[in-house]
Amino acid sequence: MTISSTTRSSAAGRRLDVDAPVAKTVLGAVGAVVLLGGWQLAAASGAFGTGLPTVTDTLAELVRLLGTQVFWVDTGVTVASAAAGLALAVAGGVILGVLIGMFEPVWAATLAITEFLKPIPPIVILPLAVMVFGPTSKMALFLVVAGCLLTVSIQAIAGVRDADPVALATARSYGMGRAETLWRVVLPGATAFIGTAVRVSAPASLVIVVVAGLLGGAPGLGRSIYQAQAGGLYPTLYALVVVLGVLGVASQWASSAVERRVLHWHPSFRKETP
Amino acid sequence: MKRRALNTVLGVGAPVAVIAAWWIVSAGSTNAFFPPLATIMERFQALWLFDRFASDVLPSLRNLGIGYAIAVVVGVVLGFVIATVPVLRAMFEPALHFIRGIPPVALIPILITLIGFGQEMRVTSIVLAATFPTMISTIDGIRAVDTGLRDVCSVYRLRKHERLLRVYLPAAGPQIAAGMQVSLQIGFIVMIASEMLGSSQGIGAMTLLAQQSFLAADMWAGILLLGFLGFAANILFEAARSRVLAWYIGSKRQERAA
Repeated sequence: MTISSTTRSSAAGRRLDVDAPVAKTVLGAVGAVVLLGGWQLAAASGAFGTGLPTVTDTLAELVRLLGTQVFWVDTGVTVASAAAGLALAVAGGVILGVLIGMFEPVWAATLAITEFLKPIPPIVILPLAVMVFGPTSKMALFLVVAGCLLTVSIQAIAGVRDADPVALATARSYGMGRAETLWRVVLPGATAFIGTAVRVSAPASLVIVVVAGLLGGAPGLGRSIYQAQAGGLYPTLYALVVVLGVLGVASQWASSAVERRVLHWHPSFRKETP
Repeated sequence: MKRRALNTVLGVGAPVAVIAAWWIVSAGSTNAFFPPLATIMERFQALWLFDRFASDVLPSLRNLGIGYAIAVVVGVVLGFVIATVPVLRAMFEPALHFIRGIPPVALIPILITLIGFGQEMRVTSIVLAATFPTMISTIDGIRAVDTGLRDVCSVYRLRKHERLLRVYLPAAGPQIAAGMQVSLQIGFIVMIASEMLGSSQGIGAMTLLAQQSFLAADMWAGILLLGFLGFAANILFEAARSRVLAWYIGSKRQERAA
């Protein structure tokens, strides 16, 4: 057990090192058990009636759901909509970002517009999307693209405009044309900015698909949650929310893993060797 | 200088041109989804200025205000406690990251089952969703407090509360503010979503009802109001932030200049 030099010596002997891997795992498990135990007790006490099923009922329902085809179709549709929307938004956002970032007048003309739209969440245009597309997967896809496009393009603009002037001058003295400079100097320099945008947008795209299902009736887990709530199937409701938590954590983890993988050469990801 | 002037002209001119284009192109529109902008503005005035202001706009904003305020206080306090008690941090950090992975809007159906459709449900869902970003950034901000600063606290034998309020809180301030900004955005989303689920009051409910009754102009009026509110909330936050964190922003600028 190691003791850091900054801990006071009087308490040092008794102090547990909570950052040791074993202690971390054990304590994390204890924390989870405490929280789940609290839930179980609250549910078993009956204070919330049938509105709060017990942990055991929820887990049993989760296991049952895992055996049904509907659940897997729902999950597949949700994940596929989020991924497809994200891919479209990234492709469109990078193209937009390059166009806006490369030409100063275009950048100046769009600055006020992007700054105005930036803090407005996509849920605001959900009624419009439902009106035009109806309760369909297309509507969910549209909302994901609408919600992530701006994030990606703002980051791409910043990345393009951040291009190293020395590298640009070098490219010019090597006689590179505009397209080659863009492909070999500007875009690689902007990848870190775009990577950040993708890491932020991946969990957001999942949230947007769920919102589209919950409020707009698009097929997927969001709609199933709405139906479970409306139909009084409370264990199903809780089990589906747990599934969403797992998917949310997975999407965060996957997007940072991809970012690390793809950008391993970038200075911000390289480990310094002493 | 000439380029700068051109950029300013473009920056101001382009949004005006976009709105003018929208106005002109939509002027004779008979498309059910995209009514003329003139009609939308008429409905905007009729609905929000000020016929439904007290009955729908104010309750929405009040829910957001109360919910957000509670969320920030709870988030900062819990974040402080978890960050400064290592055992608690090790126990609850994994669970927190899991709960944060749940889309905040998905918690609304659960709260409807537990509390019903009233105003309390809406405030509670805003609190629940908006607490996490602030809490997690508070934990991270305090953990990132420079070890040098910690040592200085020990050398000066600062008491626990002095340490927390006069060293840790300011040091973690910028990160807490970043979390609070995310909290505000999420609170705004949940405010709208909680009104769109089985309610008949509030801006979100009005906008969705207009859509369901195919009143396109009313729906557009709602979208414009919500967009404006989202923008305004962010501007207000930025203004408050640059006020409170003036020392930090100033030192950053100096760092960059150096």
